[in-house]
Amino acid sequence: MDLALTPEQEMLKTAVRRFVQQEYPKDTLLQMAATGQSCPSEPWSKLAATGWLGIAIPQEYGGEGGSLTDAGVLFEELGRGPVPGPLVSSALLGGFTVLAGGTEEQKQEWLPTLAKGERSLVLAVTEADYGWDAMDVGLVGTKDGEGFRLNGAKSYVFDGVSATHFLCAARAENNGPVGLFFVPANAAGVTVRSLAGFAWNLSEVKLDNVAVGKADLLGQSFDAGWEAFQGAVARTIPVLAAYQVGGCQAVYDMSVEYSRTRIQFSMPIGRFQHVQSHVINLVNQLDAARWTAYEALWKLDTERPATDAIHMAKSVGSEAYYEACNHAHEVHAGVGSMTEYGLTLHTTASRTLYHYLGDPRYHRRLLADALGL
Amino acid sequence: MDFEPTYTGEQEKFRLEVRAWLAENLPSGIVHPADPIDLTTEQYELRRDLGRRLGEKGWLWPTAPVEYGGGGLSLDYSVIIEEEIDNVGMTLPPYYDSGGKLGGASILVWGSEEQKQFFLKLIFRGEVRTWQLLSEPEAGSDLANVKTTAIRDGDDYVINGQKVFVGSGLGCDYMWTITVTDTEAKRHENLGWFMIKADLPGITIQPMDLLISGGESGAGSGVKNTVFFDNVRVPAFNLIGGENQGWKVATTHLELEHGTGGRISRNWLVDRMFEYCQTTQRRGQPMSKDPEVRDRLVDIYIEAEITRLFNLRNYWMRHSGANITYEGPQASYFRKQSGLRQATAILDILGPAAMTYDPELGAGEGHVEAYMRSALIALHPGGTTDIQKVIMARRIGIGREVKEKAGALA
Repeated sequence: MDLALTPEQEMLKTAVRRFVQQEYPKDTLLQMAATGQSCPSEPWSKLAATGWLGIAIPQEYGGEGGSLTDAGVLFEELGRGPVPGPLVSSALLGGFTVLAGGTEEQKQEWLPTLAKGERSLVLAVTEADYGWDAMDVGLVGTKDGEGFRLNGAKSYVFDGVSATHFLCAARAENNGPVGLFFVPANAAGVTVRSLAGFAWNLSEVKLDNVAVGKADLLGQSFDAGWEAFQGAVARTIPVLAAYQVGGCQAVYDMSVEYSRTRIQFSMPIGRFQHVQSHVINLVNQLDAARWTAYEALWKLDTERPATDAIHMAKSVGSEAYYEACNHAHEVHAGVGSMTEYGLTLHTTASRTLYHYLGDPRYHRRLLADALGL
Repeated sequence: MDFEPTYTGEQEKFRLEVRAWLAENLPSGIVHPADPIDLTTEQYELRRDLGRRLGEKGWLWPTAPVEYGGGGLSLDYSVIIEEEIDNVGMTLPPYYDSGGKLGGASILVWGSEEQKQFFLKLIFRGEVRTWQLLSEPEAGSDLANVKTTAIRDGDDYVINGQKVFVGSGLGCDYMWTITVTDTEAKRHENLGWFMIKADLPGITIQPMDLLISGGESGAGSGVKNTVFFDNVRVPAFNLIGGENQGWKVATTHLELEHGTGGRISRNWLVDRMFEYCQTTQRRGQPMSKDPEVRDRLVDIYIEAEITRLFNLRNYWMRHSGANITYEGPQASYFRKQSGLRQATAILDILGPAAMTYDPELGAGEGHVEAYMRSALIALHPGGTTDIQKVIMARRIGIGREVKEKAGALA
């Protein structure tokens, strides 16, 4: 038993933290949020140059071939930012999906470019009737000669705006299986619209008679798509949970610091037990998320049965990040609501990540199944 | 990271040895009453007998130093013993021994060599069962406000006072207690700890009538008592850590009591609830197929899992020498609040069947009903949840630059 990170993971953690502080300081993140540019070329090219995007992609496909726990360490630090861009959505989920279901040719084509950050491949799965099961996919790949046509819309696509390509879920005709099509974001008939409001990098992707070929199908078959996606989601979720842990850690650090420096009634507000309670609830959320995430990562890395741990990690991690931000707002009061302070970057992220890849209630139901109830 | 010990061939051999030994030495006829108040003298003696046999092998306190009667084993070996004990439905020690656990750990840090040789051997070999005696009518959360006095008289101290909410049923051999050793000195500079032989003249034990006696100690205690000291003469040798040094000793005691020790045992409540709902029919199907029941069962499962992970983390931190700050009181706080949330979920699932141990209409052979009582009462032993939060706040440094340090552990 050893719950410590390895020396290599500690080094990685330190290096990523320094990188995020330097390249994604608060002002940069606020600027990105204000302009809706979640992936401007300047910090992104530097992030891509580190090679970290390929951390969990095998070396034979141009990645670093690290463990999922390594990826967890990296993404926890990115989550501290929170660094936006096609990270979880593309570098992890896109990559894992291709790895699980792609033909050898597709893997050779896609994985090295994802590892280098040259392209981004974002899953476009959910629709207006929002849900993460195969039955929630209504869009049909209609046969058209040798190829197919895609008509319809994918709603609430996370990181849709920063995608160069989509893996678009579409059903074979006659209520057939759900496959995944590679669709360039700039293909004829594709329009991407950012969703304004409290959402974090969500968009709608409209597909108007978009032409795709059989070669654009992941694994060149409708049958390959959904299973590959499910397998990839299972591996992505605990790393996403680690990203949420990083977010919790950031708002916790902010709140402890603020409790020491903010003076009211002639003393630091952290002297008041009601304020202390908010911070304590916050750290309990943080640690619950941390240990459920890392245990799930460990189970996957050691090839133990992990289904229950994965659903628990997403459920606990999503609730933790959401609640952690709520507690942080209680500590910070008015100051926390000022955009320039930076807390709202996390609050906004926490809401979207709450339901991305399935919300806590959804994963609790899957956990009940996994436990044999 | 590794959330499980990786065992060497040597250690796997050791596991088989422990398993075989338990098969041979576990007394037959051990039963587990739902409410520990129903533990009989015969059942208690069976557990003490097992404790002594474990003690002879150094397996009662596996990681305690060999020179004081412990096993001197590393964390991995200790986990093997605890897992095997857990598998046969027992705990280490197999009976309530709060004073052995917390007094032993405190003596290890603060006792003289002679005191360690004398007291620790008794404890670690399972020869004595020890209660801790802390609370008094005027000293609950404010432990430093104890009024029981121990006044030097020749080679002895003379003890007078009253302790409440202490011990268990069926008596003890020693009492580990905190007293005032200087009635004139300032708060925190006036205290002293004693190991007191329980059969000394002037000690009276009076059971209390309580909803249930919850406790942090896995073995459960069944009964809590008031203990009166009326001119009890205790040899000066039994003063641990020195006169007026008691607060220093208390930091060690309280650190462990506040949950820093950690724990690895399984949660039997979850198994019990799952099994009950899978085998009990309601509206023509197993309860576990009802969507609302499933949701609440998963709530219980997740609460238990987070509690397990906090305990596992603390167990690892303590045994690996990691720098512990707020984690002890956090585990205690979370376990207590979580236990109450689980009780609410059980009430949602079972309704009135959770509230009776009636053999026909109660759920879970009385264990569920007992849990419903103990989840509430378990909130306060070893420091109320509010006190745990106060300690966490100091350790984290909420509102303060200087963080309070955790108590010393051996």
